[in-house]
Amino acid sequence: MTSPSTVAVEQPRRAGGTSKVTASARGLVKTYGAGGTAVHALGGVDVDFAHGELTAIMGPSGSGKSTLMHCMAGLDTVTAGRVLIEGEDVGAMNQRQLTRLRRTRLGFIFQAYNLIPTLTAAENITLPLDIARRPVDRAHFTAVVTALGLQDRLDHRPRELSGGQQQRVACARALVAKPAVIFADEPTGNLDSKASGELLAFLRRSVDELDQTVVMVTHDPRAATYAHRVLFLDDGHLVRELTSPTQAAVLEALGRLGATTAGDDPGTGRTPAARPDAQPTPEPIAVGAP
Amino acid sequence: MTRVALRGIRAHVIQFLLSVLAVALGVAFVAGTFSLRTMMSSTFSGIVERSTVGDAYVRGSQEIDSVAQDGTGLGAARNTIPASLTTSIQGIEGVRYAFPTISGPLVLVGADGTAVASGTSPTFGIALDPSDPTVKVVNGRIPHGPNEIGLDSGAMTSSRLAVGDHTKVILGGKLRDVEVVAHLSLGAPMAGATIVYVDVPTAMAAFAADGKVTTIAVYAEDGVSQTALVRRLAPLLSTTAAATAEVVTGDTARAETAASIEDALGFMQTFMLIFAGISLFVAAFIISNTFSMSVRQRMREFALLRAVGASPPQVFASILIQATVVGLAGSALGLLAGIGLVSLLRIAFLRFGLDLSGSIPLDASTIITSLAVGTLVSAAAAVLPGRRAALTPPVQAMHDTVVTGGRSLRRRALGGALLMGAGAVAVISAMARPTPHGPTMLGAGAAALVVGVLVLAPVIVARTLTVLAAGFVAAVKPLGRLARGNVTRNPRRTANTAGALMIGMVLVGAASVLAASATASTRSIIANESTADFIVQSATHDVPDAAIRGIASLDSVAATDVARNGRAGVTRAGATASPDDTMSVVGLPAAAFGRSLNVRVLSGSFEALAHGAVAVQESTATDHAWSVGTQIRLTPQNATAPPVTATIGAIIDSKSLGAPVILPESLYAQVVAPAQSAANTVFVTAAPGTTAAVLRADLVSIAKPYVVLAVLDNDQFAAKLAEQVTSLLVILYALLGLSIIIAILGIVNTLALSVIERTREIGLMRAVGLGRLQLAGILTIESVLTALFGTIIGLTLGVAVAAALPTVFASAGLTLLAIPWTQLAGMLALAVAVGVLAALWPAMRAARLPVLEAITSE
Repeated sequence: MTSPSTVAVEQPRRAGGTSKVTASARGLVKTYGAGGTAVHALGGVDVDFAHGELTAIMGPSGSGKSTLMHCMAGLDTVTAGRVLIEGEDVGAMNQRQLTRLRRTRLGFIFQAYNLIPTLTAAENITLPLDIARRPVDRAHFTAVVTALGLQDRLDHRPRELSGGQQQRVACARALVAKPAVIFADEPTGNLDSKASGELLAFLRRSVDELDQTVVMVTHDPRAATYAHRVLFLDDGHLVRELTSPTQAAVLEALGRLGATTAGDDPGTGRTPAARPDAQPTPEPIAVGAP
Repeated sequence: MTRVALRGIRAHVIQFLLSVLAVALGVAFVAGTFSLRTMMSSTFSGIVERSTVGDAYVRGSQEIDSVAQDGTGLGAARNTIPASLTTSIQGIEGVRYAFPTISGPLVLVGADGTAVASGTSPTFGIALDPSDPTVKVVNGRIPHGPNEIGLDSGAMTSSRLAVGDHTKVILGGKLRDVEVVAHLSLGAPMAGATIVYVDVPTAMAAFAADGKVTTIAVYAEDGVSQTALVRRLAPLLSTTAAATAEVVTGDTARAETAASIEDALGFMQTFMLIFAGISLFVAAFIISNTFSMSVRQRMREFALLRAVGASPPQVFASILIQATVVGLAGSALGLLAGIGLVSLLRIAFLRFGLDLSGSIPLDASTIITSLAVGTLVSAAAAVLPGRRAALTPPVQAMHDTVVTGGRSLRRRALGGALLMGAGAVAVISAMARPTPHGPTMLGAGAAALVVGVLVLAPVIVARTLTVLAAGFVAAVKPLGRLARGNVTRNPRRTANTAGALMIGMVLVGAASVLAASATASTRSIIANESTADFIVQSATHDVPDAAIRGIASLDSVAATDVARNGRAGVTRAGATASPDDTMSVVGLPAAAFGRSLNVRVLSGSFEALAHGAVAVQESTATDHAWSVGTQIRLTPQNATAPPVTATIGAIIDSKSLGAPVILPESLYAQVVAPAQSAANTVFVTAAPGTTAAVLRADLVSIAKPYVVLAVLDNDQFAAKLAEQVTSLLVILYALLGLSIIIAILGIVNTLALSVIERTREIGLMRAVGLGRLQLAGILTIESVLTALFGTIIGLTLGVAVAAALPTVFASAGLTLLAIPWTQLAGMLALAVAVGVLAALWPAMRAARLPVLEAITSE
């Protein structure tokens, strides 16, 4: 935590509670290309991710949810705005600092292709620690592996594991390093419903019991129900937030997103909502503690 | 489909670039070889055209073997004819001039006091008749008398002498002072040969003391054709007492010379084409690998094509089209590179005194051959990967990841093991029972072993690399383990990449062992057999008589034993000698044995030589079923001298005396004429009480004026012989260098393509925190492992096969086996360096992959 670009983040207004903020973004803008062919992926997003929460980010295709996650994780540069991970400005980091960040303070779970095919499950799980030359906390390792039900599979190669098992190994890898925040990009996208449920339940349990912070991008409404909080992105802006959502609430919110964008005039950008009970204007969403 | 194929190349240009480069290098070698041969051929025939301009040539009618070099004659040496014939020829009607060609070796001392030795081109002296029309005086006047010489343009340049300078020459075994009185010209460069003109009587005294010459050049009067001239000369020759002369037209003589030049060049070309072939073979490996990997990468694309209705032959054809384009591009590039290579060679040759004239030829056959060879090799290399692409099941298009069937390696294991077994059996049996077929069996066995190893390579990759990688795995966690996993996960690919390097390394390993063994053998032979204190040799291989007399007269010298080399027909007494019976003979004083030479006597004794008997080498005696007491007949090469009968007094086994038959001095003088004899080595024994330093100083004082003599002790003698081997080795390394470079390109290629293939995986690793340097480290370790694998297997095989050589070639003087461990260790270090170098560019590319793009790439 001795980065030269450390900036103390100001604690935003809260409704109540004093949860720490692990990761946050202020005025995040991401634009691809320039001039006439410019694509505005994110149009000014302010968001905080609290410690010890599972946050889901949802939205239609092209809403910018993956972009938001990539920017938060330092995988992509921002056009304007700031990203802070545990108080450190990610945008000001050079390659080496970013590498160290990914090694020690971030964890990743992708939709597919999470594992190195030539390593066993155990070696895949300890990969970030091996790369960082940090010792493995054996007790924690055993705890995570047991919780995920992977004890018998540690010596197997990825091609010998089912899709669900592979995702669980990826999950274990993200957890064993005890990162500050875990970013998951559609982790259940390739799984059947049973495996999905197991993985999601475990992600929630890791947040509740192991004190992790998880940010999950998903399009699956059922996955969103496992989250403490769901953020809805539309067209590069944060438009809505739900806490402790039910599936019905999520579906309704998604439906409204679809209706709002249906009346868009491509030339002038967003138009005000046509429906009376739609959100009037996007505004920065402050932290809402459950 | 053609459009798909061609667009495919454009899209993946970088992938194919390295393949194009590999083909280009191989084809450059081929094109360069052809081009060089054509250039040398035209240069030498140009020389022939300009130097042999006679209308007819009178020469000996029988071809013989001669040790002495007369320098000008290319082609079979012939018996000599009387120079006096010239007068009779001049009297014939229609003859304008007739000049005997009198020439021989000569040493010219240049302006700096050292002998003019222009590398491979010889120096010789030629008689110049004042009325010779072919030689023009550029400056000065025609030499007259024993102390005047004229130099041709090349000689003037290399000696840096000018008209009017005084210098020395060694002519006919004598050192003499001369003045340069002329700068003469034959009208064209003589390929760097140094030509010194002397007047006719001087030349005759030096080179034709017995009045015999090799040819007489005849020039016709205007209006008389060559054939007419020949007809007029024929009657004169049939009446000659010796009846050993014939006459041919100038055209015939020139054609014969040109033919023998072509023969020699043909050998050189074949030799070089073998190495070009090796390079192309290695290039084929790379192309095969490239297409394998690119096919694998584009499996989904092919599945899609099949799913929309393309037939397997169509898909196959598209791959072949791509291979053909790669081949054509590479061949065209290679052609240009070959020309460039030959230009460089020409400059290099100029340094060594060989001036190749004319522009660099690019004739149709070179172009066509180069293009054809490159394209065919590329197409052939792409056949197997193409077949795999063509047979892709359409359903593969639906799969997200490529399913690579682990094709069974059992067939390769079996085939490889069989080949290696057969090869080993052949090699061992060649070693166990020395037969005339020994060398052939050894060669065939070696080839089988090499091919067997290449076939077997994928099978042994996993185990071998686990062992090799152990150090890395322990030292650099987790990079070592990741690297090991990467090289072992596709054994065929690793084996193919390493195989290219393996081929070159087998040859390098074998050559190194051969050279080291030859050197060690020579050293031990000299150490065992030479007991002289000093040895004097000449760079011209013939120590001048005057020098020998000088040495013998020294007080510090107790004895001088001169080994003279010549040739004679050797048969059982009573049998007539045929050309096949001609062999080398060495003349030595009988007392040399025991004094200067310590040679193993198997039966009989050396005392017999003192009484006029001869000694014969064991192998020759066995071949002819001779033994001590057998009477043999020695037939001189000079047809006029009578055969001599002698008894075999000893059967010996000596590696230092190269000849099969050793004659005592007196007998030798009867059998070999001085003009055809060369005093190759002079063994000097010190007088009692003389120190080595004193003797050396005395010898040097005698030898120095002769400029070309070297005074050596036994160690230096052995070292000098070893030098020849080393210089051959350097040439071999240079020729193999190209295939090694191509092999290195292969490693770069495989690595670069595998980076593209593993983009997502690399992205994943970077996302979990792998640094760029660490990523480069993984790739470097992979590269080093591959290079080490190929080098170790190749060297091991090469050394193993070469270890059989001394046993098979013991009779040729290869008695000891010496394995140059330091050199081999150096090769391994080189392999590591090569691995690091090869990984540079792929590692840079991989490190620069943006993490996000990598993760989200297809």
